[in-house]
Amino acid sequence: MRLSRALLVFRKDWREVGRNWEILTPITLVPLLFSVVMPLIVISAPGQINTGASPEVLIESILRGAPTDVIEMLAGFTEDQQLTYVLLVYMFATFFLLIPVMASSVIASDSFAGEKERKTIEALLATPLTDGELLLGKILASFVPAMGVTILSFIAYTVVVDVGTYGTFGVILLPTLEWFLFIFLMTPALSIAAIGLTVLISSRVKGFKEAQQISVVLVVPIIGLLIGQGTGVLTLGPPMILVITALLAFFDLLIFRFSVLLFKREKVLTTWK
Amino acid sequence: MIGQLSEIVTEGLTKRFNSFTAVDRLSFEVGEGEIFGILGPNGAGKTTTIRMLASLLTPTEGTAFVGGFDVVDDSLKVREMVGILTENPSLYDRLTAMENMEFFAEAYGVSDRGTRSKKIRELLDFFDLWHRRDDKVGSYSKGMKQKLAIARALVHDPEVLFLDEPTSGLDPRSSKDIRDLMEELSRREGQTILLCTHRLEDAERLCSRVMLINEGGMVTMGTTDELRSQIAGTPILRVRLGEASEAVVDAVRSMEGVEAVAVDGTMLSVSLIDADRVTPHLVRGVILAGGMVQSVEVLKPSLEEIYLKLVVDEDEAE
Repeated sequence: MRLSRALLVFRKDWREVGRNWEILTPITLVPLLFSVVMPLIVISAPGQINTGASPEVLIESILRGAPTDVIEMLAGFTEDQQLTYVLLVYMFATFFLLIPVMASSVIASDSFAGEKERKTIEALLATPLTDGELLLGKILASFVPAMGVTILSFIAYTVVVDVGTYGTFGVILLPTLEWFLFIFLMTPALSIAAIGLTVLISSRVKGFKEAQQISVVLVVPIIGLLIGQGTGVLTLGPPMILVITALLAFFDLLIFRFSVLLFKREKVLTTWK
Repeated sequence: MIGQLSEIVTEGLTKRFNSFTAVDRLSFEVGEGEIFGILGPNGAGKTTTIRMLASLLTPTEGTAFVGGFDVVDDSLKVREMVGILTENPSLYDRLTAMENMEFFAEAYGVSDRGTRSKKIRELLDFFDLWHRRDDKVGSYSKGMKQKLAIARALVHDPEVLFLDEPTSGLDPRSSKDIRDLMEELSRREGQTILLCTHRLEDAERLCSRVMLINEGGMVTMGTTDELRSQIAGTPILRVRLGEASEAVVDAVRSMEGVEAVAVDGTMLSVSLIDADRVTPHLVRGVILAGGMVQSVEVLKPSLEEIYLKLVVDEDEAE
């Protein structure tokens, strides 16, 4: 497999995505909601957020695994302020898993299925690019913008949270080690897995919308993590993040290998809308 | 490598989609530098045949070699050496013409920037698209897209060209340009061209041989002259005279190579065994018998008539 050829497909798709408002709109608006609107709501009215558990249970279960200096710092604050801290510093990290998965699923659904719909797929498949080069190029074309959006959202979120809470806590809350691990390790690993599966689905269905509908199921495990955290059942500390990342990385390799094996030009070409 | 002089060789090439047979045991060879036409109605199997030869579809049965490479086992090699114009232009509407050309040139391995730029410039100039190179392809007319798609198929100087309806959507001037280009590519560059078309005038003018297919199977194959003789029997020579005197008619009837003579006023319709050989002798004989020859015309059925006879009549008979 020649990386330069995969990058060629990536550059072509990158240009196309950058000029497609049907893709740009959702991958801009949803991150904006998570990184700006939601933290502002929490900062201004933390009691309005329903996590599925009572504030006391949530605060108690999440802070159980927190460092002593954090617990000591929060001891002097009201329940609403403690809830603000817990939501912004711990709970919302999981929401950030939704950003790359959502962004990459929109782009990856468009990869082969979109080319079928726009009737450009035949000329692409007729080129001497190998199956691996085509797949890697398509995966990169989803991964790079998805991670770009995630990192930009993380920066925006950090600024909003730190500016919005400095007056209350007197310290800069973000970034923390957990957030770094989340954004730069777990999110890319999850993103690649989601893209690999979506590209594979996209190559075997008739159209963009069908691919997107099927790929929505990828959000289910993240919702599970959110519920686990929200109800206090699960705490995503650094060890847990590293374990999940390692599992996802292994899963990524399996998916890529599996995708190359299952990718058949004839199937892509003849499963036509 | 097989078939040193044949760029394309198929043997019993068959493609089935479940119980539907799209292409049924096609066997043919296309020589180096030849323009070979595949004619047939919609759904006859033309596009499926091209897709198998371009290693896009795997044959269900039979074999096919392009440039000596097996379309199944050496699919990458085959794809490297062929240029293909698909049924649809297959261009990226959100990219400019230049970006489309750059992408496909690189995908086909034209990695040197200078060579790539020169070739793209040459092709866009030829198709009169250079001034629109930075416009998005979505803003192009159907004809412009078709020309750009042909330019894309040529960007890596392929040894073999598969063209599926190349003049579809083009105005008469552009169609002529494409036909001239194909002739030049075949004659000067030695490129082998497999042409699928509905436009019988394209096939008649360009193809050294044609294959008529219907419902996936071959109906007939040969040069247009061979096909003509298949359906029309002996050719007819029409000779207009100043006066059809009995002496002239008798002289014609007695000539070697003449099968029958019909007289209609001053027009003689003469059935000949070999028009090319007999016609000069016949004209000379008419003049020697005192006839005044005003015009001579060999009546040959057009490719359209051959097509209608062999393909449409066959459908109606079923």
